[in-house]
Amino acid sequence: MLKIGISGVRGIVGPSMTPTLVMDFASAFGAFLDRKPVVLARDTRIHGPMLRAACVSALLSSGCDVIDLGICPTPILQKTVRRLAAGGGLAITAGHNDIQWNALTFIGPDGISLNPFQGQEVLDHYHLGNFEKAATDDLGRLTTPPESAFIEPYVEELQAFVDTAAIRAARFKVVIDACAGAAAPCLERFAEALGFDLIPINNEPNGFFPHDPEPRPRNAAQTVSVVKAIGAEAGFLLSSDAGRVSLVSETTEALSEEFTFPLIADALLARRPGPVITTYSTSRMIEDVARAHHCPLIRTRVGPAHIFLAVGQEEAVLAGEGSGAVAALAFQPAFDAFLSMGLILETMAQTGKHLSALVGQLPRYHIVKEKVYCPTSRIHGVIGELAKTFHGRDIDTGDGLRAEDKDGWIQVRTSGTEPMLRVIAEDKSKERARAKVDKILQSVELMI
Amino acid sequence: MNSVKKNATLKISISGARGIVGDSLTPQLTATLAQAFGTYVGGGPVLVGRDARASGIMLSEAVISGLLSVGCRPVDVGILPIPSFLFVTKASKSAGGIAVTASHNPKPWNGLKFISHDGLYLTPQQTEEYLDIYHQGAFDFIPYGKYKSVQIMADAGEAHLKRLLNRFDSAAIRRRKFKVALDCNNGAGAPLAPRFLRELGCEVIPLYCEPNGEFAHDPEPTPENIPDVCAAVKSAGADIGFVQDADADRLAIVDEKGRPIGEELTLVLAARHVLAGKKGSIVCNLSSTRALDDIAAARGVKIFRTKIGEINVVEKLLSVKPKAVIGGEGNGGVIDPEIHPCRDSFAAMGLILEALAKSPKPISSLVASLPRYVLIKAWIEGSAERAHRLISLLKKRYEKTGTVSLLDGLKVDFADHWVHIRPSNTEPIIRVLAEAKTEAGARKALESLKSEISNCLKKI
Repeated sequence: MLKIGISGVRGIVGPSMTPTLVMDFASAFGAFLDRKPVVLARDTRIHGPMLRAACVSALLSSGCDVIDLGICPTPILQKTVRRLAAGGGLAITAGHNDIQWNALTFIGPDGISLNPFQGQEVLDHYHLGNFEKAATDDLGRLTTPPESAFIEPYVEELQAFVDTAAIRAARFKVVIDACAGAAAPCLERFAEALGFDLIPINNEPNGFFPHDPEPRPRNAAQTVSVVKAIGAEAGFLLSSDAGRVSLVSETTEALSEEFTFPLIADALLARRPGPVITTYSTSRMIEDVARAHHCPLIRTRVGPAHIFLAVGQEEAVLAGEGSGAVAALAFQPAFDAFLSMGLILETMAQTGKHLSALVGQLPRYHIVKEKVYCPTSRIHGVIGELAKTFHGRDIDTGDGLRAEDKDGWIQVRTSGTEPMLRVIAEDKSKERARAKVDKILQSVELMI
Repeated sequence: MNSVKKNATLKISISGARGIVGDSLTPQLTATLAQAFGTYVGGGPVLVGRDARASGIMLSEAVISGLLSVGCRPVDVGILPIPSFLFVTKASKSAGGIAVTASHNPKPWNGLKFISHDGLYLTPQQTEEYLDIYHQGAFDFIPYGKYKSVQIMADAGEAHLKRLLNRFDSAAIRRRKFKVALDCNNGAGAPLAPRFLRELGCEVIPLYCEPNGEFAHDPEPTPENIPDVCAAVKSAGADIGFVQDADADRLAIVDEKGRPIGEELTLVLAARHVLAGKKGSIVCNLSSTRALDDIAAARGVKIFRTKIGEINVVEKLLSVKPKAVIGGEGNGGVIDPEIHPCRDSFAAMGLILEALAKSPKPISSLVASLPRYVLIKAWIEGSAERAHRLISLLKKRYEKTGTVSLLDGLKVDFADHWVHIRPSNTEPIIRVLAEAKTEAGARKALESLKSEISNCLKKI
């Protein structure tokens, strides 16, 4: 199982995600970098070292110096790319995908995910297969800086960006589930810097995940029970790359990952209004929040390539997805779970409100997300067929099919990572959202 | 010409794989070779090491990636002399080893050597089985759950060092406090060799002992390439000078007067010393000097000759009766089976120092008392295929006048000299050698071989 596109390559490790395939992609990225240095990081997956070794070899062979951070959260990698003024970054992580997956995610010279044009250039190099092959004297050099060299500057910057004094004074008890992912080794330093009491769970990176590394309520059982047992003020679930975060309130409610973005937006836009970028699949909550702060909202296709292209074009102050991924542009143009946690704790400290109360201020919608199997070869036909009878008349085809109605919307789009169609509907009524999704699922199943 | 050019940058043979970095030897090819090897050994721990070449890291990472993907546990030993690598592969009970090295090839080259669990290079037959997997692309990629981690072994040389120090009469060597000039040519021997000599009580004058792969001179340790160590011996008044080749399996010696004794005599000196202590067979390849036959005759022991290629000497050495006590090659490669059946410049240094320690004479006198021949090594351009056609023509020409052997290329023994022609295993060239009692005799024999070759080439 392999997915190749402008955002990189993603696959199930085994017969399809092989060392030579990884090398071909890293070589293509090497050609894109044109011998400039590259910063490398990986999450904790057990097969990470295989991909890492393949990338190191191919990048050195492309004549790029490699600065290998080892196990390191992607937002810290992105900050490091920018700080070192490197040619780019390469994150070996499949983020929220389960343990059998891994992926190469390419970061541009400014620490931002490659935009679609840059991604296409890498893809062109890959398809051309005409890779740079440096002679012995021109090979890149490998360096492996100590953790302190990249975690420390990041933490210091984060400490200065959020209201550390307020958080420290509140002395929160916080449960964080790193899902044994890349954030695990940094959490203690993070908690110490912001001044809260950390109760870490699943914090031993052993190559496997205790549950799917996707921050959402169905993976939150452990966090909920620990929040309850110790009476914590907040619980956080992280993806394996520490890009996304979902929340558990002090009332032990596992909140939908859709809340993370509007919650942060509500606090941040009050201080620093400006354009907000999100995707077609994200909850309407953000529309209401943006409107309340008189900020324009621009929707793009799913995926960091499209989102951060729009961020640049629109000079946005905030970007995010319904998956729990949020970027505050004043800090860095990257989805960053550390920053998200910091901003939420800051809001709790500054307002003196509990997490449940902050969430209670947000408009409530019901969102239903399902996926249905659809072979890659059938996707085009199925979507064409669905368009004929799709919900409502004004279909937005920016990413699959999307249509709005009075109290919500519905979208069908191709999964970026699996041979699936994703069907998402939102509505003020849970029953209506469910009915909208079920109708599409039935049509698709009939067609296949 | 075209076929030579095509062959010129990549060679996959019983000696492993060699190619030019930035050209034929890519990360992808290297990972694929490692996948085939990992599949061949069927998983388990596999040692990964390298010589000091600048391209070593790039290739060893590719090897590690390939091994992981087929379920092996790579054990990264970093830069290590090849004899230590072979020793540790066996001692650590690994499933096998891959050494990233191109031995004495020039800097743009690098390569892989494949080692089985017993610490020996794959035999020709094993290589064939292994290459079948490579060519068929039948790799055992494992699912994620079976992945192993990479193990770092930073002190892999220690076990070899310990064994070496137990092997020799270290006390006797230490008492003499030898002054030794040592030229590692910034190769794989550099991290270990000065320590080894100091442990033997030597005062070391180090030359080019930075393992950075920047060869200070042509890596072939022949007399014309080692003037610096000769000068160092003289200016420091050293007892002896040692030169290791890039992967530290071969050794050249400089006498106390600063004269290279010729790499052909390293094995002869070592063999005489070993045979003085105990009787047993000598095993060497076809191209090694006749002085070894004289040594064997003088001690009344047998000598066995094999095809070129270390593994051929080793295989014979492990199987002959009476048991072999010394083996090697005329290129400075000494095999001491008491340590490990592989060429080992450390074993060679130990044996030579022990010989010196047990004699009141300087190294120049020990050399002077050896049977002397002059061996001239040359090469001509040509592929293996061309060599093969040449050889069948030459055989007809020589079989009336000399004793002909087709064991490896064509070797012809005459009463007072011999000639040998064979395709190289590692480069697209044909090697030609001639040995006689005198320089003039050897030159004459080589000229006559070369003129026979020109005659035959006209017929091809």
